[in-house]
Amino acid sequence: MRLAWGEEELAFRDDLRAFLEEHVPVEALAGFDTADSHADERDEIVPQWARDWQATLFDHGWMIPAYPPEHGGRDATPIQTLVYLEEMATRRVPRSLHFPGYAIVAPSLLEFGNDDQQRLVPAAIRGDTIWCIGMSEPNAGSDLAGLQTRAVLDGDRFVVNGQKVWTSYATIAEKCFVYVRTDPDAPKHKGISLLIVDMDTPGIEVRPLRHLTGAAHFAEVFFTEVEVPAENLVGGLNDGWRITQGSLAHERAGLWVEGVARLESTITGLVDLARRWGRADDPGVRRAIASVYEQAASLRALGYKGFASFAQGSSAPEHSYMKMATSELGRAAIELAMSIQGAYAAVHDPERGDERGRWVEMFFLSFANTIAGGSSEIQRNIIAQRVLGLPRA
Amino acid sequence: MDFSLSDDQELLRDTARAMLTNECPTTLLRAHIDDPAAADPLWTHLREFAALATGACSDLHLFAEELGYVAAPGVFLPTVAMAAPVLGAIGDERVDAIVAGETTATLAVAGADGVWLPNAEPVKTFVPEADRVDWIVVVDDGPSVTVAPAGEAAARAVETVDFSRRMFEVDAQGSSTAVDPAALDAALDRVTVIVATELVGNARRLFDMALAYAKERIQFDVPIGSFQAIQHRLAECSLAVERATAAVQYAAMTVEADDADRRRAVHVAKAAAGAAAARATKDAAQVHGGIGYTWEHDLHLFIRHACGSEAWMGTTDWHHDRLGDLLFAA
Repeated sequence: MRLAWGEEELAFRDDLRAFLEEHVPVEALAGFDTADSHADERDEIVPQWARDWQATLFDHGWMIPAYPPEHGGRDATPIQTLVYLEEMATRRVPRSLHFPGYAIVAPSLLEFGNDDQQRLVPAAIRGDTIWCIGMSEPNAGSDLAGLQTRAVLDGDRFVVNGQKVWTSYATIAEKCFVYVRTDPDAPKHKGISLLIVDMDTPGIEVRPLRHLTGAAHFAEVFFTEVEVPAENLVGGLNDGWRITQGSLAHERAGLWVEGVARLESTITGLVDLARRWGRADDPGVRRAIASVYEQAASLRALGYKGFASFAQGSSAPEHSYMKMATSELGRAAIELAMSIQGAYAAVHDPERGDERGRWVEMFFLSFANTIAGGSSEIQRNIIAQRVLGLPRA
Repeated sequence: MDFSLSDDQELLRDTARAMLTNECPTTLLRAHIDDPAAADPLWTHLREFAALATGACSDLHLFAEELGYVAAPGVFLPTVAMAAPVLGAIGDERVDAIVAGETTATLAVAGADGVWLPNAEPVKTFVPEADRVDWIVVVDDGPSVTVAPAGEAAARAVETVDFSRRMFEVDAQGSSTAVDPAALDAALDRVTVIVATELVGNARRLFDMALAYAKERIQFDVPIGSFQAIQHRLAECSLAVERATAAVQYAAMTVEADDADRRRAVHVAKAAAGAAAARATKDAAQVHGGIGYTWEHDLHLFIRHACGSEAWMGTTDWHHDRLGDLLFAA
């Protein structure tokens, strides 16, 4: 056990800091706040500065440090990757404003794609191609394997019919990872395949789906007799389910850092808010903020502890806890901020109250955090069954 | 930030676990209810580890988690984890005898209100095992430290629900030695972290008992652990225990390194440990159903130790309030 990083990690961090000092688009980031984004258009969802920034990260080997240079990295070790994620999260510098390409498509293609498909990887990571992921359907949310979008192989092409929903970035994406049912008679996990689909293929209709905050970052996608070349199949036919588990394995052990950093920033905001609203001497408010701090600080420790197991090659059950815990605690912290504002918690009026509805907007946005990517209930099932070894019902 | 254990640390933990599993069964805890001497054979094994008193905080922390897992009674924790660091802060040579396993001691800090802060009151409260140690180490305001022979102190047993830790009110007088406030703070932080760790071990025992019972207890023809209501309760409980485990480990590292984050980390550690123990107490009782609140089942031995430990050296609320002071002072 030791508190400080070793010299090798510190040198790595110095390199990163020097790069960030020189290249971070400071002004653009300062004016950028996802919480009040109501963007619909491509240039608003992924503005030019964000595209340039992602490309700069890639070109300097700082996009996915664990990858080799041709994939936007520098062959970083697991510990160096954690140092990287920690520094980016602390500075609140996002790598990219569209995660599907670099975080899901690229690692999945590198593991399961053929040579032609792997040629799509650099553009996915650099952000030159915007991707979306066609997974969830109206009747396949938490029960993802129940997806019903059909694809029938007809000679040298698949014909796809069905509907996807909650598809982030579908309004602006050029390509989509579409999970389809290719064997309706097989057990549900065994009849799924993965196709790469160009979003401008005839028969695809995208309808923006407004978030309750008003933003339209996701959509419904309808497929009607959509023809997809057979060579766009990723991995084996009916072998798509295991690819759904694909994400950045190199980074999975460190992804909690961002959630914890966001929590810490919220806590700083809470202390500041309590002062501005004359509640800094309220013992109940102080105790409640301290409780959030206690939980966030111990989650950070849990994240590091899990990383230590991961780096030593052991399974790291700690990570199963982090997504659920940071999203639930994040919302509790926002609720506390709303309670501090009393009657003004829900006020949006720019001339009344200092916050202009900032916290209540964050509260609404937090609904997605405990659902998307596996709801808190699904996380508890996973913890109970895979970590604690409790029997399935 | 590296939370991995060295080979020596893993060996220490495994050795402690094996020894305590053998030497501190629940039959010993039950015998100890009426006869404190029942813990004496355990001390003959524990004294072999007395050198941890002046060793790395992270090593003693590993040992303390195992002590809590079996709710070990007796003089080891008061001597090695509590009295020794304060004696060290005044350069008292009795530390050497503690390290050699040749003497025993306890620590007295709180006054009538039970708050674990130096004060001027002559009578100290919540002093563990005061009638079974050689020395009583008293912290007074100033701050100063008095080391008095236990045989000359007036000690009154105060009954608590905790069968594993016997508490006393003590009036121990003697000549006092001034102590550097920073050194005393560091020593008391070390004490708090180790006590918090011991409590986390106890919470883990409660959780493990609940988990094992959920897998073996059959109702409606299936193990009750297959029901989602039980699964989600245990998932949340395990999160609380895992979180607290990491928090005390981090705090032990900050004490060892005298890190700038030490004071916050220590409050976080005891608060997280208390919250985990409170949660594990209720969940373990609920999952066990009727058998869990009988005298014959061992669960209450650990529930009692959790209750006593959560209240001792600052409740979760008290540590949250101190943490709040630090957050709003920044």
